[in-house]
Amino acid sequence: MNTPATVSPAGPAREVLRLDRVGKRYPMGDTIVDALVDTSFTLREGEAVAILGPSGSGKSTLMHLLGFLDSPTSGEVIFEGKPVATLNERQRAHIRAEKIGFVFQAFNLLPRLTVRANVALPLTYNSTTPADAEARVDRALELVGMTHRAHHKPGELSGGQRQRVAIARALVNEPRILLADEPTGNLDTKTAAAILDLFQELNRLGRTIIVVTHSPEIAARFKRQLHVLDGRVTEGGAA
Amino acid sequence: MKRLFSGVINGLGEIWGHKLRSLLTISCVMLGVASMVVTTGFMEGFFGTWEASLEEAGGLEKISGIPKALSERQAPFAPVSPGFTMDDARALQELVPTIAVLSPEIDDSGARLSRRGMNYSVRVQGVTNGIFEINRYEVASGRMFSDLDLHDHADVIIIGSKVQEMCFKPGETPLGQFIDYNGRPFKIIGVLQHYERLYGTYNTLYWKNDVAFIPITTMASKVQRSQRLSWLNMKASDLSLLRPTVDAASNVVAQQHRGMIDFKVDTNAQELASYSKTKASFVVGGSAIAGVSLLVSGIGIMNLMLASINERVREIGIRKAIGATPFNIFSQFVAEAVTLSLLGGVAGVGVAVGVIHALGTVLPPGSAPLLAPSAFIVGFAFSVTAGVLAGIYPAVQAAKLDPIEALRYE
Repeated sequence: MNTPATVSPAGPAREVLRLDRVGKRYPMGDTIVDALVDTSFTLREGEAVAILGPSGSGKSTLMHLLGFLDSPTSGEVIFEGKPVATLNERQRAHIRAEKIGFVFQAFNLLPRLTVRANVALPLTYNSTTPADAEARVDRALELVGMTHRAHHKPGELSGGQRQRVAIARALVNEPRILLADEPTGNLDTKTAAAILDLFQELNRLGRTIIVVTHSPEIAARFKRQLHVLDGRVTEGGAA
Repeated sequence: MKRLFSGVINGLGEIWGHKLRSLLTISCVMLGVASMVVTTGFMEGFFGTWEASLEEAGGLEKISGIPKALSERQAPFAPVSPGFTMDDARALQELVPTIAVLSPEIDDSGARLSRRGMNYSVRVQGVTNGIFEINRYEVASGRMFSDLDLHDHADVIIIGSKVQEMCFKPGETPLGQFIDYNGRPFKIIGVLQHYERLYGTYNTLYWKNDVAFIPITTMASKVQRSQRLSWLNMKASDLSLLRPTVDAASNVVAQQHRGMIDFKVDTNAQELASYSKTKASFVVGGSAIAGVSLLVSGIGIMNLMLASINERVREIGIRKAIGATPFNIFSQFVAEAVTLSLLGGVAGVGVAVGVIHALGTVLPPGSAPLLAPSAFIVGFAFSVTAGVLAGIYPAVQAAKLDPIEALRYE
């Protein structure tokens, strides 16, 4: 797997994603809910960030904004120096297909497809050639240690194995950013620890990793923490 | 290309995943396509035979002069008219320049040909070479009549393929051999091409093989011993000149017959008109059947696709999150719908082939459907159209799904 440039010892790493005074409001019945208020921060290449907050604090909204699945009602999300608001849905989908990997709490594998086909799925939406795709799927499965289960269906795997497959799927397009939403939420402590070790290993290889969690213990394993409470984001301390 | 392929693979996976539901939908399309193909087959058989007989009977430029009984008023003066004779043919040739070809004919319909103890009853016609052009006969081996044959009242004969089959052993060459007709040996100078247009197992052009021709002069002087023509067929030089040619020919013949209307002049126009009218009404009826079948198949496919999308909202959310554009989702579902309907189409064409074969053995020739290549094209075009049309709405719904809502969907 090609590893992106790691933090240069000479200075701060390149900016990947920036939120500039971002707000998100939802109408909910007769009232308006502020899910995110006036949020600004910058994510740089090679960072490992935990977004920590209790349930309903707005962290999932933040996650969706970071992955361009949602648009802010105020402020700007800037990806690689370009405001995301200027991109249409197709262009955003292309960035997701090429540069962002998603890992979900519920794994979100397609039950009908084999492990291999699940991992290969993102490559059908970018410009990878079929021959190249085979090699990439092999590398991604090897990285998460799932090569031996490549021809099984997700239903035949344990929770930890499914999450490894989901991570392989997120990594297969060699993304600049890996976004994980409660990736250990459905796993037992031991398996969760193994998955977090995997994230740390990926970060050591230079991958930018953002993990959303409600658990301070998990957040504590990341170098940088962003605390979300009632739609407001504050920088937390280093672990 | 890879997305289209993955759409088809997905479609097959979905079909396999919901066997009963898919089977019912495929059956809808199958019945629609089968009914379409069989209907097309019926029309193909019916009109093909009709068209061929129109064409083989001389086409639209053909004008037939046929003797008929005089009206009651003219009947007492019958001896005044010389009747249809070669003189009429000569007069027409001279006076009506818009006649391109003439074919006077004297029939001997109960003739018997015999050779080495083999007898065969056949219609022998005394003709000129005009018949080859007007009634579309071709000599496959040998030659047509020469001027000398006609001038000398020669005992030469051109036989049809059926006559050859009945009077000669397989592998025997009839050319140059003699065959007895009316007590004299006739030298075979030509064999006609074999004509075949099968309708089921029945050859609708059988009549073109079951003939023999001798020079009209020979027929008049040595066989019938009469100059009276059985037919006087003509061909107008152009379809646009058909009407004036008919009028002119009628006038000339009436003049020749001293005003006695003991003939009638016919064209194929009336038959063409009824052909066109019947075909138009069949096309309307066929299109209505096609429309209803298309609608029923479409409803079946759309129903299945909507149910399928409803169950796969989360999948759509996942696909969008990992980079699928709305168009990717749209094309995936259209490809699935088309895969489904194509399977129905293939099954439908298969069923139709079986039905057409079965009907071919049960129905009499002339009313059995024909298996036409166009029916296959119609069947496949039909199923693809049904798939695309019925897939569009569900696919648009899928493409429009909000990824966040879709990912939250349980």
